Parts: sequence; C-alpha cells; structure tokens
Amino acid sequence: MSNATFRRVEPWLYVGPALVVTLVLAISPVAYLAQAMFKNMEFGDPISQAPSAGFENFRLAFGESARVLDGLRLTAVYTVFALLLEIGLGLVIALVIENLRRILPFIMSVFLVPMVVMPAMVAMVWRLYFSYEGLVNWVIGLIGISPLNWYGPEHAMKAVIITDVWQWTPFFVLLFTAGLQNVPREIKEAAEVDGASSLQVLRRIKLPLLAPLMVIAATLRVMELVRQFDLPYIMFGGGPGSATRTLPLTVFNTTVQKLDVGVGSVLSLVLILLVVAISWVFLFAMKRARVAQ
Amino acid sequence: MRVSQFLARKTDIASRSSRRIRVGPVMTTTIGLLFVAFWAFPFLYMLLSTMKTPIDNISMPPKFVFTPTADNFRTVLKNPDVLRFLRSSLLVATMSTAIALVLAFPAAYALVRFRRFYRTERVAYLFLLLQLLPIISLVFPYFAIAQRLGLRDTHLILVIVYTYWNVAWAIWLIRGFIEAVPAELDEAALVDGCSRPQALWKVVIPVSAKGLVAAAILIFIGAWNEFTLAFFLTARDARTYPTIIGFFLTHSGIRWGEMFVAASLGTLPIVIFALLVRKSFVSSLSFGAVKG
Repeated sequence: MSNATFRRVEPWLYVGPALVVTLVLAISPVAYLAQAMFKNMEFGDPISQAPSAGFENFRLAFGESARVLDGLRLTAVYTVFALLLEIGLGLVIALVIENLRRILPFIMSVFLVPMVVMPAMVAMVWRLYFSYEGLVNWVIGLIGISPLNWYGPEHAMKAVIITDVWQWTPFFVLLFTAGLQNVPREIKEAAEVDGASSLQVLRRIKLPLLAPLMVIAATLRVMELVRQFDLPYIMFGGGPGSATRTLPLTVFNTTVQKLDVGVGSVLSLVLILLVVAISWVFLFAMKRARVAQ
Repeated sequence: MRVSQFLARKTDIASRSSRRIRVGPVMTTTIGLLFVAFWAFPFLYMLLSTMKTPIDNISMPPKFVFTPTADNFRTVLKNPDVLRFLRSSLLVATMSTAIALVLAFPAAYALVRFRRFYRTERVAYLFLLLQLLPIISLVFPYFAIAQRLGLRDTHLILVIVYTYWNVAWAIWLIRGFIEAVPAELDEAALVDGCSRPQALWKVVIPVSAKGLVAAAILIFIGAWNEFTLAFFLTARDARTYPTIIGFFLTHSGIRWGEMFVAASLGTLPIVIFALLVRKSFVSSLSFGAVKG
C-alpha cells in the first residue's frame, strides 16, 4: 500500500470497527421494523412467512382508534411537566446551593445518588412509597393534604412525573452548578460593586450564561423522557386503564400485549422519527456550544 | 496600590455585600439543606427499611426508631436466583464495558487527531445520533433477530446490544479526555519511530488513563442499570439484576423488606463507584458540554 493511500484510509482503521458495530446494530432492527410495518403478524411469528397487510397497519395506528394520538398526548403531558419541574427546581436549587461553597462537594454527592440508582429499583421503591398507606401520603399529610389514591387513573401520571423529577432534577442541579462556577468571579464582583441587585445579576449575567447549557440539557432530557419505558412500565404498566400509556408503552402494549407486530412497528418508527427530530435541535445546540468553547 | 488601601477596599466591598445579604446566609443555608434532605430522604429511607420487620414496614406513620432485624437480608441472600442474577449482571456489564472501550478508544482518538484533515465531527455526531434511538423501538426487532440466531436468553445477546449503546457514548466520553492530551505528545512518539498504535499504547493511554477509568465506570453503571433490553431479551438463564423486581410481588402482597434489600444490594456498590468519579460524571452527562 502506498503511503498516500495509507494516509487516506488510516483514520477509518481506527473508526471503522466501532462504526460498523454501531451501524449494524442500529440499522438491522430499523430494517426489520420497516418490513414488519407492512405485515400482518403476531409477536413471535417469523417475519418471512407473515402475509402482507398493505397499508392496513397505518390505518389502524393513525385511524379511528388513534393509538398514536393517545400515546403522543400522554407523552407530551409527561415530558412537558417533568421537564419544566426539573429545570425550574434544578435552577432554584443550583442558585441556592451556589452560596454554600463549603459544603458544595457534599451536596453534589447527595444529588448524584438518585441518578445512578437503578431505574428499575427507583420505579419499584417509589411505587411502594406511593401506596395509600405509604411515605408520600404521610409527607403530604404533614402539610395538611389528605391522602391521595396515587394508583388511580387521576393521579398515576403525577406519581410517575414526581418520581422522574426526584431522579432527574439532580441532572440539572449538577449541570447548572457547574455552569455557575464557570461564571467568571470578576463579572459577579464587578456587578456587585456597581450595585446590581441579585435579581439583576441573575437576569443579566447568570441566566444568559446558563442558556446554552439549558438548551443542551433540556433537549437531552426531552429525548430521554420521550423514549422512556422502564419507569412508567414498572410503576403502573401503562395503567390504570391507559392513564400512563405514553408512546413507548403504547409500542409495548401493541406489540407484546395485543401481539400486533405490524401496528407496533408503525408506532416504533413514529417514536424513532420523533426522537430523531428532537435530536436535530440537540445537535444544533451542541455544535454551537462546542464552537463557543 | 498600597496594602492598607487595598485591604480597606476589600473590607469595604465585603461589608457592603454582607450588609445587603445579611439575612441571606442563614436562609439560603436552611433552604439549601431542606432541598438536600428532600432528595436524600427517599434513598436513606430505603436503606433504613431494609432492617424493618414486615409489620414495621407498613406501619403508618413511618417508624424511624425500631428494633432492627437481619431477616430480610437473610431471606434475600439465601435466594440462589438473587446471587445468580448479580453474577449475570456483573458478567454482562464487565464484558460490554470492556468491548466498548476497546472499540471506542481508537475511534475517539482518530476523531480527535484527524479532525484537521477529515470531517470527523460529522462522524462523531452520527455516533451520538445512533445512541439516541429509543430502546423500546429496537428491542422487539432484536428479540426476533436473536430468536432466529438462537441467541435469546443468552449473555452474549445482551453484551452485543449493550456494546452498541455503550460504544457511541464511550466515544464521546473518551473524546473529551483525548482532547486534553496535547497532540505534540504522540507526534513526538511518532517522530521517534513509534508506529501509531504503539504511540497510542505507550503514550496516549497512560496519559489519559484517569479519564479512561472514569469512562469505564460510567459505562459500567449504565450497563449494570439497564432494564428494558435485559427484560425482553432474556427469560431465565441470562436474567440480569434489574429484572428481578417482579420477585417481590407475591400473591400475599408485596414483600417490602426484601424488596428494599434487593434494591439496596443492586444500588449501593454503584453509588460508591459513582461518587469516585463525581467530577467526570457531570461533564459526561452533557456529552462534554460542561467541562468537569
């Protein structure tokens, strides 16, 4: 091999193996879905023998029973509320603990814990906490709220959201705290000397500096929330009824419980497209952040 | 400026700012600690509940002082499945982490060092995009494919699919660490007659070792905690630890104490690991958008 050719292929020798593995494992299931969405098949049937269903599966997925719309609506509710709570609380907590410099490492350690606990265990343990005679009802009882039936259709989604807020608000706390520490000291001091109120410092200095970070963190979290399966599944299995059946749970419900692989594949691809669409926003924000550094 | 003047200015600034926020420190400390307590409580309560009898565990209001019992631990540890699943998890997480690192390190290196000549940034974003695909959309096709290949309910299939998600993430983690290694370092090794793989092995790996360890721990945690793929792709033989949750829902109700023990066993080692790499954790969560 000549020197010039070698230099051309050299990077691919390093990137190649990782790229091949990733592409094969990403494309093969998507190709399977693309085939299965035109088939009339039950879960467990071999795809090669399944009869064609034409566009019937699309009609079922988007048609009158409108499983896609129900799933999307609940996904939107779940994502929006969890995200807003997490960002809001994360920002407030980061701003408060910013002043507690001496115990900051300790605080950061505490906030690290929820994120690394097994999601399956978080879901299970919080499900217990949400039982009628459980910890959550006791805590809200302390501030005078009468116990709620968290397992009922009215409150189940709230329970899932609260659990996710517990687990992932720390994500924003840690990121915002790191971001705030990168705010140059001189700027803060200069603003203080000039008599700026802390609210002004927040609005004019801290928030603008945190903004790019906020977009990245928020889009990351949105993608996570939109595709999240384990937490709502383990807590309530999409129920009661369909109260917590977000799009990922609709995929599960259709494919495994109703055994309808065809419609399930349509829903799976809708979910993939949704996540890819959001990821463009994320990639755009990432590129800008990396350029800015 | 003379020292006395300087000090005077300093104290002036200090007293001015402290006058304005005099009520601040006590309040902010209290509020801050309240938040901390609120986030620590559910986890600590779980640890506490591992030592409660079934009666104590369902008593309302919750008991914080009680006679501890080791019964829950005894029952859980006596269950051969629990230990088997722990072993399964350890095997799958270790294997997939090792493979991911071996694949990701050279790739991350190339994406950083060849950036000037090639559009490696695009490749990096392709990896990132592929890592973001929803697991629940891909798991049933994997199920069908695994069934056809005879890989269902094996550790191997889990190692393979975990490797996919881990590699992309690992590349982004390691890329950040390699960017911190000066290019002159491995170029010097190349000039000295090393081949590039040798330079990688002898120079870049030792210099970025700390980062690699952090990356390894983070990837391990992800694989250790993974639920969805393990739940659908394994049945009995290859089950990993997160999938045992169903064990504690019995006909006679939920066995709370044992559930809490199982949860603690699976999470405590991970929490300790995570605290060791706390700093890299923050930066890795944002794919390097924040420097740790």
